[in-house]
Amino acid sequence: MISHALTTWIILLFLLAATLIGLGGLLTRKNTLQTTGCVSAAIAFLLQTASFFLGFHKSFQGGLSAGAYLQIVAWFTTLAGLFFWLKLRQRTALTFAAPLCAALFAMSLPYLEQTILLPQTLRSSFYVLHIGFLFTSLALMAVAFIASSLFLFLERRIKSKQRIKGFMQDMPALSVFDSINKVCILACFPLYTIGILSGLLRSKPVYGATLSGDPKEIVSLIIWALLAFVFHNRLAASWTGKKPALTMICIFLLSLFSLLVVNTLMPSHHSFMGN
Amino acid sequence: MNTSIYLVGLNHRTANVDIRERFALANQCSQQLWAIPCSETIRENIILSTCNRVEIVASGTEETVEELLKTWAMARNAPVEELRPYVYTYAHDEAIRHLFLVASSLDSMVVGEPQILGQLKKAYKQAAAAKKTGPILNRLLHKAFSVAKRVRTETQVASNAVSISYAAVELAKRIFGDMAKHKAMLIGAGEMAELAARHLLHFGIQELFVANRTLSRAQALAEEFSAHAIPFESIKETLPKVDIIITSTGSTDPIIRARNIAGVLRERKNRPMFFIDIAVPRDVDPDVNAIDNVYLYDIDDLKEIVEENLSGRQDEARKAQKIVTDEVSNYLSWLKSLEVQPTIVELIARQERIVREEMEHSLRHWDAANRAQGAKENLSTAELQSLLEPMLKAIVHKINHEPLMYLKGENTHLGQIERINTIRSVFGLK
Repeated sequence: MISHALTTWIILLFLLAATLIGLGGLLTRKNTLQTTGCVSAAIAFLLQTASFFLGFHKSFQGGLSAGAYLQIVAWFTTLAGLFFWLKLRQRTALTFAAPLCAALFAMSLPYLEQTILLPQTLRSSFYVLHIGFLFTSLALMAVAFIASSLFLFLERRIKSKQRIKGFMQDMPALSVFDSINKVCILACFPLYTIGILSGLLRSKPVYGATLSGDPKEIVSLIIWALLAFVFHNRLAASWTGKKPALTMICIFLLSLFSLLVVNTLMPSHHSFMGN
Repeated sequence: MNTSIYLVGLNHRTANVDIRERFALANQCSQQLWAIPCSETIRENIILSTCNRVEIVASGTEETVEELLKTWAMARNAPVEELRPYVYTYAHDEAIRHLFLVASSLDSMVVGEPQILGQLKKAYKQAAAAKKTGPILNRLLHKAFSVAKRVRTETQVASNAVSISYAAVELAKRIFGDMAKHKAMLIGAGEMAELAARHLLHFGIQELFVANRTLSRAQALAEEFSAHAIPFESIKETLPKVDIIITSTGSTDPIIRARNIAGVLRERKNRPMFFIDIAVPRDVDPDVNAIDNVYLYDIDDLKEIVEENLSGRQDEARKAQKIVTDEVSNYLSWLKSLEVQPTIVELIARQERIVREEMEHSLRHWDAANRAQGAKENLSTAELQSLLEPMLKAIVHKINHEPLMYLKGENTHLGQIERINTIRSVFGLK
């Protein structure tokens, strides 16, 4: 067992360093700084992964805390950023993922000790499947959100014929942001669908109904519908550019609302505050 | 030693193109004359001759400048008085500074253009091959190349496009990224459009189509660019296939209208399109820019970008001047260290000679004493000498450390000549 508060602080420091150095490198157009920022984010990721292996989850009796959930979302987001950096040679996704993860870690601090006790019925491999798929898709939504925001920002400048100067000159082309968005949508929809389906199937034996009208369920189904809509349009109606970018921004913001508001403030059997 | 660096030259600011042609050296000289023959006055030299400047950098004495001018005028069969009004001359640190500014493209007609560095490298290579350069110019030119690299890395002096055609292609790269996956079409055959097409080909555009009202003209251009010539009437059918469209026809009405683009986009599955309209009057309906995934830049938009970039380069050039100033002072320090070098060598050599003489004298006595006592030697005199010599050399160098620091001017405010004279008289050097 390791101290999750200490782990959180160490990882948070690396993520803050990644944020400051990475964004600093982007703004001052120093490649070395941007790469150092990415390396710092990678170290944070490795430390967090190591903490999982060292029994991070075991430090909470009977379930994870709300803070731990936020940290797992951050882990998946860094993973997605690392994928785009190492596989597609695009540092921008990780550079912008780092502040998002740092924010999630900072937000996790007050909720770190607030353990959510899972009912015995939910303590099974289903739970890992449900959370794993949903959190992976949430991380992909986060990366799509970053790519879409940058796409819209750059697209607006090009359309309105404003000068592309400073750090904007080092930004990838519009087509790259659009490709990242596409990859995220294509991967996110099936993962989210599996995550939702596994939840619905498990819901019947645990809560007595597939759909219980829980606010989390309703918001998740709206997100799924939006994802299905953008997934269909990207494939069948050849949506590119602005429309999928705007839709993915809405989807991510809605997911964040679901995680930060529905899970904490609304009465729900998904509540971080316990029932 | 009175050797210093001198630079004589003329450029686009001091001489018009007729004069520059009249006194150009590069194309007029034979391979052997890539540099002026060296003499007592001109110890080393290189000639840089481009369409915008002719400059000769030399190391030598005070008479070097006159000698260079005479040789230059003679090479062009002109009296020196004809050349003199157009020529600028720089000496010592000003010459070094000017060369660094030229190498960094800060003295160019278009600040930041990359060609000048290549031309300077070529000039240096030729002069070095002709054995007209020595330690001073070799070091100076290598320094100039590293200053140019530093300026390019640490400032944005060469980062933005300063020609309309290049600005257009840079924008295309911002939209599409890798050009190798995209196709372009040239409509009309204006000079700027051709230039833009050349840039696109340089960046590896996958395929290029050329359309012109006169098909033969399109075919000639297509042949030049390894492109496909298409009749002007086939533009509509080709539009869905291409991502970048450069127009420069003489048409008085737009040839591409917004209402036609919606269908084209559907056929292209909404893949983005970039229209570069270099024609006046415009060939592309301005409303095209309002359509999603379609981008349109006309000549005025591109001119505005170029003007902003040019002014940006001027700002960056001011930053670059500081780098040049630093590097000039670094080079001058090295140059000054050359002047104390003979004194250093003489000082060390004299003291080593004294020490060696004393050691040999002592060893002779030691040898004689041993023989007189009939002592059995563990070491021969030669072996002992080889052991002692490195130790004594090290002692000489250590003892001389402070005098050498003084000579190099560290921790003292005295002038170089005074320092050299002091050391020479203290240590008895002639």
